[in-house]
Amino acid sequence: MNKVRQYFKSLLLLELLKGLSLTLRYLFRPKFTIRYPEEKTPQGFRFRGLHALRRYPNGEERCIACKLCEAVCPALAITIEAEPREDGTRRTTRYDIDLTKCIFCGFCEESCPVDSIVETRIFEYHGEKRGDLLMTKKDLLAVGDRWEKQIAADRREDALYR
Amino acid sequence: MPEIQNFTLNFGPQHPAAHGVLRLVLEMDGEVIERADPHIGLLHRATEKLAESKPYNQSIGYMDRLDYVSMMCNEHAYVLAMERLLGIEPPLRSQYIRVMFDEITRILNHLMWLGAHGLDIGAMTVFLYCFREREDLMDCYEAVSGTRMHATYYRPGGVYRDLPQSMPQYEASRWRSNKEVDRLNADRQGSLLDFIEAFTERFPERIDEYETLLTDNRIWKQRTVGIGVVSPERALQLGFSGPMLRGSGVEWDLRKKQPYEVYDRVEFDIPVGVNGDCYDRYLVRVEEMRQSNRIIRQCIDWLRANPGPVIVDDHKLVPPRREEMKEDMESLIHHFKLFTEGFCIPEGEVYSAVEAPKGEFGIYLVSDGANKPYRLKIRAPGFAHLSSFDEMVRGHMLADVVAIIGTQDIVFGEVDR
Amino acid sequence: MSDDRVTIEINGQAFEAPRGAMVIQVADEAGIAIPRFCYHKKLSVAANCRMCLVEVEKAPKPLPACATPVMDGMKVFTRSPLALEAQRSVMEFLLINHPLDCPICDQGGECELQDVAMGYGKSISRFVERKRVVADKDIGPLIATDMTRCIHCTRCVRFGEEIGGMPELGATGRGEHMEIGTFVERALSSEMSGNIIDLCPVGALTSKPFRFRARAWEMQQRDAIAPHDGVGSNIHVHVSGNRVMRVVPRENEAINEVWLSDRDRFSYEGLYHDDRLLEPMVKNDGEWRVVDWETALARAVEGLDAVRVRHGAERLGALLSASATAEELYLGQKLFRGMGCPNIDHRLREIDFRDQADAPSFPWLGLTIAAVERLTSVLLVGADPRKEHPIINHRLRKASLAGADVMMLGATREASNYRVAEQLDASPLSMQNALAGIAAALATSRGDPSPSSGMVAGEAERRIAERLLGSERAAVLVGPMIAMHPQASRLRALAAYVANASAASYGVLSLGANAAGAWLAGALPHRGPGAKPAPREGLAAADMLNDELAGYLLLGIEPELDCADGARALAALRAAECVVSLTAYRTETMMEYADVLLPIALHAETSGTYVNLEGAWQSMSGAVVPPGEARPAWKVLRVLGNLFELDGFDYQDCSSVLGELRERVANVAPSAPPHGALEHAEAAGGESVIFRVGSVPVYAVDPLVRRARALQRTADGIFRGVRINQRLAAELGLADGDSAAVRQNGTRRSFPVVLDERVPDGCAELAAGVVETAALGPCFGPMTIERE
Repeated sequence: MNKVRQYFKSLLLLELLKGLSLTLRYLFRPKFTIRYPEEKTPQGFRFRGLHALRRYPNGEERCIACKLCEAVCPALAITIEAEPREDGTRRTTRYDIDLTKCIFCGFCEESCPVDSIVETRIFEYHGEKRGDLLMTKKDLLAVGDRWEKQIAADRREDALYR
Repeated sequence: MPEIQNFTLNFGPQHPAAHGVLRLVLEMDGEVIERADPHIGLLHRATEKLAESKPYNQSIGYMDRLDYVSMMCNEHAYVLAMERLLGIEPPLRSQYIRVMFDEITRILNHLMWLGAHGLDIGAMTVFLYCFREREDLMDCYEAVSGTRMHATYYRPGGVYRDLPQSMPQYEASRWRSNKEVDRLNADRQGSLLDFIEAFTERFPERIDEYETLLTDNRIWKQRTVGIGVVSPERALQLGFSGPMLRGSGVEWDLRKKQPYEVYDRVEFDIPVGVNGDCYDRYLVRVEEMRQSNRIIRQCIDWLRANPGPVIVDDHKLVPPRREEMKEDMESLIHHFKLFTEGFCIPEGEVYSAVEAPKGEFGIYLVSDGANKPYRLKIRAPGFAHLSSFDEMVRGHMLADVVAIIGTQDIVFGEVDR
Repeated sequence: MSDDRVTIEINGQAFEAPRGAMVIQVADEAGIAIPRFCYHKKLSVAANCRMCLVEVEKAPKPLPACATPVMDGMKVFTRSPLALEAQRSVMEFLLINHPLDCPICDQGGECELQDVAMGYGKSISRFVERKRVVADKDIGPLIATDMTRCIHCTRCVRFGEEIGGMPELGATGRGEHMEIGTFVERALSSEMSGNIIDLCPVGALTSKPFRFRARAWEMQQRDAIAPHDGVGSNIHVHVSGNRVMRVVPRENEAINEVWLSDRDRFSYEGLYHDDRLLEPMVKNDGEWRVVDWETALARAVEGLDAVRVRHGAERLGALLSASATAEELYLGQKLFRGMGCPNIDHRLREIDFRDQADAPSFPWLGLTIAAVERLTSVLLVGADPRKEHPIINHRLRKASLAGADVMMLGATREASNYRVAEQLDASPLSMQNALAGIAAALATSRGDPSPSSGMVAGEAERRIAERLLGSERAAVLVGPMIAMHPQASRLRALAAYVANASAASYGVLSLGANAAGAWLAGALPHRGPGAKPAPREGLAAADMLNDELAGYLLLGIEPELDCADGARALAALRAAECVVSLTAYRTETMMEYADVLLPIALHAETSGTYVNLEGAWQSMSGAVVPPGEARPAWKVLRVLGNLFELDGFDYQDCSSVLGELRERVANVAPSAPPHGALEHAEAAGGESVIFRVGSVPVYAVDPLVRRARALQRTADGIFRGVRINQRLAAELGLADGDSAAVRQNGTRRSFPVVLDERVPDGCAELAAGVVETAALGPCFGPMTIERE
């Protein structure tokens, strides 16, 4: 009896039709996809994207060249050079992040005692020629200046957990 | 009499069904495989050696990149090894979080596998459906760690941060009405746990859909039933683990046999196969997804009821909270030293293994008392599976090679490491 | 077990220790870690940080391990709950007032406070009150202070008192108000002051030139030998990204213990001076052009060869630096001897070579450096060890503190930092007679015939002679001033007689880092490698310049500053047809007289060997790659040898050069001091003539240190003018700060007058080796001073 039932099932392509009806149903349902890049999927406040160097509200750069991020960077993507600035404070003369080396682990941000180096929500960046993905201090500060509001809001939200 | 010569075929490393960078040299008699010789090493990044050169914590991120479809499970084995040498027990909450994310990772991995395997042997639709669910789980990854894949979230002594209390939401745009946005955000109103719970509620139905498409499908069965049969004895001899072993009918799961974290506090079953062919392994993996879903639901309940610390309170090992670090001398010193030198692990050696989605993923760690490993050995399940490849494909047709690569669930990040 | 040994138990392990040793010493030897801040093995015990508290059985309270002498049967526990709790509590107190500076503190990463806090402290603070703040002190251009970070271990204070010999730092106030400082704001003047940077366990005292530049973990540590004096202090060069970031001492009990002179520590700054020559240059028709090595070398060979063809090889001369490595000196002389020219010399500051034929095989100390501190009497002749050989001075100081009679003949720039038994402020003019007097006194007391007629011993000379004679281990050490003296050979002979007659060892405190190496390598006109007489005797350095040769090769020197008579040297070089200079720096003056400039590597950029005062051969390899096109001088000399088509210049590496040299000096032992004619001086010249004492300031000894910025800003590095004593000033009608016209060999220069009672009568001290006096005549010789 079983064998007969199976024979008919198979002859009538039942299991194939079941599958096809499933896909047919989906044809009339709202789409799951979104229209990137006009639309974006939501990003959490912990998102680890492109790096930025932040400033204090008074415009002074936060980074004090303590080099903790350089030390903790597993990929050795950060290069810092420092010397006393004219006013005697400790500042970087060079702060490079090689994005092609970076593994976006977030340790630099974790290690920073002054919340200077951060990873922002930006993930859409590209380079067109060699060296474009080597972020210098100027580039990093520019990213920080541009996105400071978002960066600050994200840190505020995450402060509860860190 | 004309000379009969076997035909040698180079398969990969650029072949889409070669799962990354596998290169196979196939010796064929017509369409039948006489011998298959997998060539590996194209993704070798010296992870083991790299780990010897940096403080313990800095290698966590590199563990993600071993089996890059089951990221947190790899981290888990590594932090577990450190914890065992240090002799510390992470807080219960962090153990539940880890178990929950291990299971999320398992689903992620199996979805990836199912989609890709289906695609390899001719089922296009299921790939799209799997990625739809993967997207939700990736959002969980991102919400908790900040990245969708390479989380660097587990730490010796717990996890980096507690689960967030909110989920990011879709924003209205000219492409979507508010109603549509509200629908998309329906599951995102509460915390991450709410989001995951909503997922676990709809996921079993989704698995049913995959099964509707595949389980009885004659083409699917023709491609998988009786292909790559491994007997239970042989599977043990070959060092199989995970679904590869269970598919052959051996009931072995580290989560049950050597429970770590809180696996002994949650209920779940171990599915096993009967015939040891590709079809059975498919069934095992699908059932594992259902079981993982079950574990996740138990974890959510526990985590809801038990707030608390997620990492040990020992600043000799774990950096202090940022607030303390900025106001407190001792904390600042510990922060500074932990991020520059890291911590030292007492002399000794340990093997710690977890039941990764692909099988037993193990870390053998030797410490000489310094702040970086003296030696780190990675036991990757894929490596053992791939080494049986020749045996599994011998006598099969060329098209079955693809099915067997798929069923082995090979990822070259961990094979080549 | 003998009476002076006791057995103690630390953490259950039994150790034998000498009676009177402190617990911490025994633990250190056994490798048992006890945290500490104030204790340092080379300093006295202060026991004021309390970090080393340990539990001792039967003691009611934890005891400081650094101040608890061992007793027989004592049971010590360093990790017992009581000890750990005590250490934790002490650590908490120490951190109460420590600022949250780690991220901006240079000590971060190598800070003892951090390490001990990690290892023994609590992990969270209970302190919520305000922290104290202490004003920073300005203690000179070498050391940066952040006194808020100070934890009052007083290591720096004790260093000043016990090692530096000058209590420059001290503590004022007590309790929370205690501050370390210089009492009155002023710069440290110790020539070893940099050591307090190493001693300071926290970031209160850090290196100023190094400030904020690198972290401990990003630097690589390479071994090297200090290049400025004959001590050959062992150093670590810390390198980051092919740049020397700093220099710290490398422990070597036999040579520099754990100390380092400021000159050796901070001179690395000169490596990065703007004067650095980065590419080969040649002069064509008065126009300087940057060229590649090939062209420059071809031009050098062509120029020197032209002189050889036109005037003969003996019209060439090689002036080599006494601070060059043995390999460079050896190749330099090999090159010139191969070309048939015997005019090779490194003794640029000397003018009297009459005794060179009988000179010992190489100048040496006559004993090991470590043995200096065990001497019971020392006669220093024309030496200023504090400034010239700070590490030797430290050993002398230890000897003096142990009761030795340290006697000084000849004036020093600054007072000694220890008790000097006899100080005979002989001027260069009277030095010969003073030494002859000592010789005569020795002869008299030994009953020997007088060494030469007419010598009369004064009271002081007789006392010196007696002290030398009555001493168990005596030494006569002859300093650089004797070598530079116009009557050097006679002074040496007298000193050797004195040493001989008093059974003292005779030693030389030579100029340059590698004088011994230069003698052994044969960088001399009369001797080849291995102290073998040269087949043809050439001209000594001063004669080469006096004779105005047609072609010169210079190695690592600036002749106007490094020669006995800068003006003479310049004139000779300007008149020459071809001057090839292997130099690391280019200067205006050098561009004037030279024809080819070949950029060479400096110390820390080249491999090489120094032979120090005690005859120890110390090799090092380059720590960084030379900048630009600069190449190690031994390679340049090797290629020159190839281009001159000389045999035996096919070396693969520096060590094969050294191997060849060592083979040739294999059997050379230090030989006996010279026995020259003993004479006393002729009467001094006319009344109006003042004798110039042109000793070389501590930070002007070679081109590298002359360009070390921070050192040049110290009191010792600043040129202040011509120093005369009150009597001479009165005679000349000059007062402190007046401008005086100084005339020497027809050149006139104006300098401010500095009154200094340490300058002997009839003399004026006018430093050599500094740009200001380069145009004047001989360093030691007559000059006139007038009011302006």
